[in-house]
Amino acid sequence: MIGSTLITVGRSLGVTLKQIFRGTVTEQYPEYKRPVYPRFRGRHRLNLHENGLEKCVGCSLCAAACPVDCIRVVAAENSADNRVSAGERYARIYEINLSRCIFCGYCELACPFDAITLGNDYELSEYSRSDLIYTKEMLLADPIKRTPVADAALYDTPTPYYRTDS
Amino acid sequence: MSAPELVGGSAADRERIAHELVTVTIDGRQVQVPKGTGLVEAAAAAGVEIPVFCYEPRVGAGIGACRMCLVEIEGMPKLQTGCTTPVTDGMVVHTAGTSEQAAAGQSATMEFLLLNHPLDCPVCDKGGECALQDLSFRYGSGKTRMTFRKRSLEKPIPISPTIALDRERCIMCFRCTRFSQEVAQDEELSAVNRGALSMIATFEDEPYRGPFSGNVTELCPVGALTSTQYRFKARPWEYEQAASVCGLCPVGCNVAVQSREGRVQRVLSRNHPEVDRGWLCDKGRFSYSHLYSEERILTPRRRGVRELEELGWEQALDELEGMIERAQGEVVLALSGSETLELAYALAKIVRQGAGSDRVVLPEQAADALDPFRVPISALAEAEEIVVFEECPVLDRAPLIELWLKQARRNGAHVTRIGPSGDIQRGRGEAALACQELAEKESALGKRLRAAERAILLWSGGGGAGGCHLAALAHALGLHEKEGSGALLLPASPNARGVAEAWAAAGDENRQPRQIGLLVVSGDEAASEPQVRQLAEHARATVALTLFAGDSGEWADLVLPATGYLERSGTMRNLEGRLQRLRGATGSPARRELSWLAELAGRLGVDLPGSEAALFTELSAKVLDGISLASLGDRAPLPPRVEAQTFEAARAESPPTLLGGPLELIRYRALFSGPEVEHVPELSFQRPAAEVEISPEDADRRGISGGNEVVVRSNGTRVTLRARINAALLPGMVRVAAEHCAELARGVEVSRP
Amino acid sequence: MAKAKHPILVLAGAEQGDLRALEDYRRAGGYASLEKARKLGPGATLEQIKQAAVRGRGGAGFQMGQKASFLPSPGQAKSPIYLVVNADESEPGAFKDREIINRVPHRLIEGIQIAALAIGAERCFVYIRGEYLSEYEVLSAALAEAEAAKLVSVPILVHRGAGAYICGEETALLESLEGKRGQPRSKPPFPALVGLYNSPTLINNVETIATVPKVIELGGEAYAKIGVKDSTGTRVFSLSGDVVRGGNYELPHGTSFRELIYDCGGGIAAGRKLKAIIPGGSSSPVLPADQVDLSMDFDSVQKAGSFLGSASVIVIDERACMVQLALRIGQFYMNESCGKCTPCREGTRWIEMILRKIEQGRASHAELDLLADVCDRVLGKCLCALGDSDAMAVASYVKHFRAEFEAHIEQGGCPYGDTSSLAGVRSPVDEIYRGRIGQEAAL
Repeated sequence: MIGSTLITVGRSLGVTLKQIFRGTVTEQYPEYKRPVYPRFRGRHRLNLHENGLEKCVGCSLCAAACPVDCIRVVAAENSADNRVSAGERYARIYEINLSRCIFCGYCELACPFDAITLGNDYELSEYSRSDLIYTKEMLLADPIKRTPVADAALYDTPTPYYRTDS
Repeated sequence: MSAPELVGGSAADRERIAHELVTVTIDGRQVQVPKGTGLVEAAAAAGVEIPVFCYEPRVGAGIGACRMCLVEIEGMPKLQTGCTTPVTDGMVVHTAGTSEQAAAGQSATMEFLLLNHPLDCPVCDKGGECALQDLSFRYGSGKTRMTFRKRSLEKPIPISPTIALDRERCIMCFRCTRFSQEVAQDEELSAVNRGALSMIATFEDEPYRGPFSGNVTELCPVGALTSTQYRFKARPWEYEQAASVCGLCPVGCNVAVQSREGRVQRVLSRNHPEVDRGWLCDKGRFSYSHLYSEERILTPRRRGVRELEELGWEQALDELEGMIERAQGEVVLALSGSETLELAYALAKIVRQGAGSDRVVLPEQAADALDPFRVPISALAEAEEIVVFEECPVLDRAPLIELWLKQARRNGAHVTRIGPSGDIQRGRGEAALACQELAEKESALGKRLRAAERAILLWSGGGGAGGCHLAALAHALGLHEKEGSGALLLPASPNARGVAEAWAAAGDENRQPRQIGLLVVSGDEAASEPQVRQLAEHARATVALTLFAGDSGEWADLVLPATGYLERSGTMRNLEGRLQRLRGATGSPARRELSWLAELAGRLGVDLPGSEAALFTELSAKVLDGISLASLGDRAPLPPRVEAQTFEAARAESPPTLLGGPLELIRYRALFSGPEVEHVPELSFQRPAAEVEISPEDADRRGISGGNEVVVRSNGTRVTLRARINAALLPGMVRVAAEHCAELARGVEVSRP
Repeated sequence: MAKAKHPILVLAGAEQGDLRALEDYRRAGGYASLEKARKLGPGATLEQIKQAAVRGRGGAGFQMGQKASFLPSPGQAKSPIYLVVNADESEPGAFKDREIINRVPHRLIEGIQIAALAIGAERCFVYIRGEYLSEYEVLSAALAEAEAAKLVSVPILVHRGAGAYICGEETALLESLEGKRGQPRSKPPFPALVGLYNSPTLINNVETIATVPKVIELGGEAYAKIGVKDSTGTRVFSLSGDVVRGGNYELPHGTSFRELIYDCGGGIAAGRKLKAIIPGGSSSPVLPADQVDLSMDFDSVQKAGSFLGSASVIVIDERACMVQLALRIGQFYMNESCGKCTPCREGTRWIEMILRKIEQGRASHAELDLLADVCDRVLGKCLCALGDSDAMAVASYVKHFRAEFEAHIEQGGCPYGDTSSLAGVRSPVDEIYRGRIGQEAAL
């Protein structure tokens, strides 16, 4: 009886003693940022062609695919003096409500032109909810803060061709 | 699957029916269909899909152009097209589902169709509701073997301000050209060039000008013909749809109103086979954007020192309440006939019960005299004899009727038009006389009408009393006893019958004040009526409920914003007497009438519910035999005919003699006129030209030739217009669209300047 | 002209010169058959035509008597019966109808009158190719003469086409005659039941109709003895291509290609070798030179994998590059496709594009297989025979001369260099088509 109690106590002490000699696991976020997995799905980005035109043609397929209905696209027609995208049509308004977004990546899969891709940023806190509605200009711009990304070679799953690191 | 059992009827009946049926086997499923059924329909009855692109029974028999419906028929050496093959008894058919040969044919067609078709589905307005997209998803191969550059052509080409043509996407199904040539019969669209260079075109650079052109955008199975107004506005999965009814003319076409983010984006047909057969006129289809015109009034306005000034609703209702009080029962209500029954009833209740007056100006009305001769509009297509008393062109009053008349003529009907420019030329105001003559005197036409099994009479213009004259003729011809025969009156306004009923239901007293303390004008149409305008001059105060300040803005003391028919819910009664439901597609930027009317009613101590449904229940109990809103359904049924009674029609009289000039002016309201059209820039090309139509005889006598600039004058009014010679017009008459008439009187003189 | 040892029927009397004047035609026994037919009456006349087993000379080779028997009898028909003569001879290689109209116009008119009598037609139409202006004038003059001599009891209207190959297809011809865009109609219903203006209509080729007077003159049974079984009577063969004396030769069915090419046509110049024969106009599959002893009748040619069609024999000698020939034929059909049905409109163009790539030596072996597959996918899927013709003809070149196609691919160009008899000769179609595509489509 007493013997078994002592054994139990001894075992738990053993665990404690073992942990004493281990290093700390606490990470000093935000001073230190742990690199995210290369396929980590963070804030969206809208991409441009090399010639500067927007890849997005405002087809709303992302909005159709979105399970939480957080994307709003209003299209318009390109004209000779206002050419925004490569085709006939462009997104006059492109908004993502990031407070609703669940970062599922369906929009990225639905996009026929690789115009919208999910980046790696996850630091999206704002003081006001309305600030979380990202407009086209915000999505087109480079993110202010960059999230470190782990080396893809460390993992045995391929990174999709359309992912851009951010 | 076994053949469907025929149930009911006697053994002889069953045998008779069985005689007219043929049995076909499609993919191993046996089905019995009536003799002469097309293979595509027979397959559908058997639960087998035969995909099609070019086949559209509404534009005519199958032409076998797209080759998508290739099937194997036992005993035939080659693959056959399902759309051109009527089934015969004992036919054994294998579709692509079971026949390798047919599947090869179909996949070849699919490959050829996609060979030069651009893959711009994300950009294309048809994407998401495209027959080619859907069928290639199901039947097409995932890969292309085409290694050459696809054909690229100039695009989009505006073939009219309302329709854009993308020739790259066109798959040459000829639906649009067949519609133009065989349904609308405007011959505006045709195919040019041949082979791989074939393309759809209008004549040179002329726009597709025709009252029904918009239907081609709905017929097109791909995104080749699209609406310019809808261009890039929404995708098919983004809109909300309301199953409503067009409120612009008395036909009451069933429409699907699609809106996105609170704005109507387009109007499509909903195909009520008895009313519109899936067609719409361009006014009904394209005029919705008048709702978003910058000139629309959204807030109440009061006549200020110089101009109208805006005020809040509270103030406006105070003002209106004060006006009603000051009028002391001397109130007149002018209704347009474009109100729903519910709105007209609410207005009537306020005037009759709240203001204590029973004086009303109703639109040219359709009496119930024709109810024993009621027929669905679609009966026109099957009729043998049709007589149209056409003082106003049918096209301008009820455009879809014109399409049905064309269909009737193609089906072999005799269509006789009696009017100033008809087959039998009669002057203005003589329709009643012509009607009476036809009933009383022997004539070839009368004989044909009596002999015909299915004869239909139409009355277009020539006064609201026309219904009685027409009923007398219909009665004399015994049309109430013949199935498929009947008589219809085309009223000038969409819901003339309905508003009269609503007015009658709102009270049973008859107080007719001599003076006008307050004139309440409902709707833009009433505001543009010269008669109403005269009343406004005598009225001490005037309030107008309108979408646009236009006419009433000049004389109304208080202008209240109205809502459009696409924003309203309620019911309307069309020219057949069919009660149809409107369902508001979007909220209105202006306050709903029923909301403030209910508030006003509360102030006046009138019990008025604020919802359409409650108003309908009240109305229904009073005048509609207690029918429920639900019984109207999505495609409203036609009420049954009522028992015919003998009655004396008033004797028709010859029209009064002319004053002012030797030529009689026919002032007509063209189809493409009114505020709904004026505020839509895309439709301006359809509006009536500043022309005067004159007969060749009168033109010769005055030395006028077509295209000349002429002066039309009467009583000191002079209007300069371009002359157009109309060989069908009765000498002594001239026709000018109302919007170009100014103040011209009935008798005019036309001369070179 | 044909040699005397053969019976000359259709062109009889015109051996020495044109037989245009009514007087001359009558002197040669003209219009006697019409008299005879009138005495026989409609039923017996039709019976004679049926016994003669005259197969259509236009291309499809359907028996005229049989076609006529599908028509309702004049008493039963709700609408008038029409006779339409197809003189829209546009097949590359065919020029026999023009010879018949030019030389013996009255025989055609007489044939029309007899046929109209036999079927009880109310009115006859001759749809003549627009480019045949002088033939139109000859026929019109002859018609005026015959009308003046009160020989025409059923009115004949001669209508000129506007230059589309497809209008030689019977239903497209009817559409064009009705004033519509010349595009074929879906069959069934066949014109015999629903034809011109939705009325029962018999449509026959000029040569078929011009055979009728001789059938009546000789009697159906006697006529059927000429030629071979199932291909009765004589035929006007249009001989063209690499041959010394091209022209029209009237020979009985069953004569061999060798006799036509070498005995009548004088063989190929400079002793060059025969490479291939196109037996029935550009739409018929090509036959290799070893078929030269084949009998020229419907069934034998069909058994050899081609069609006698309009009996327009095109001779090809060893200088010709078969890829270039296939390309020219492909271009012709691409240009003449009416654009109504999908496989023909898109397929003919695709075939032409692949052929051109092969001819220029830019193609791969896979594309040659693709070409064969595209031909297969067009074949039997089209609304009328035009797409099928293109697919069958092109496929036959690939089948019989695959080595030449492969040589183009492997050598990156034409193995003949500039020596091919077709080298540098661009077809007018090519000029027009490329020009227009260049402007409108920028390929």
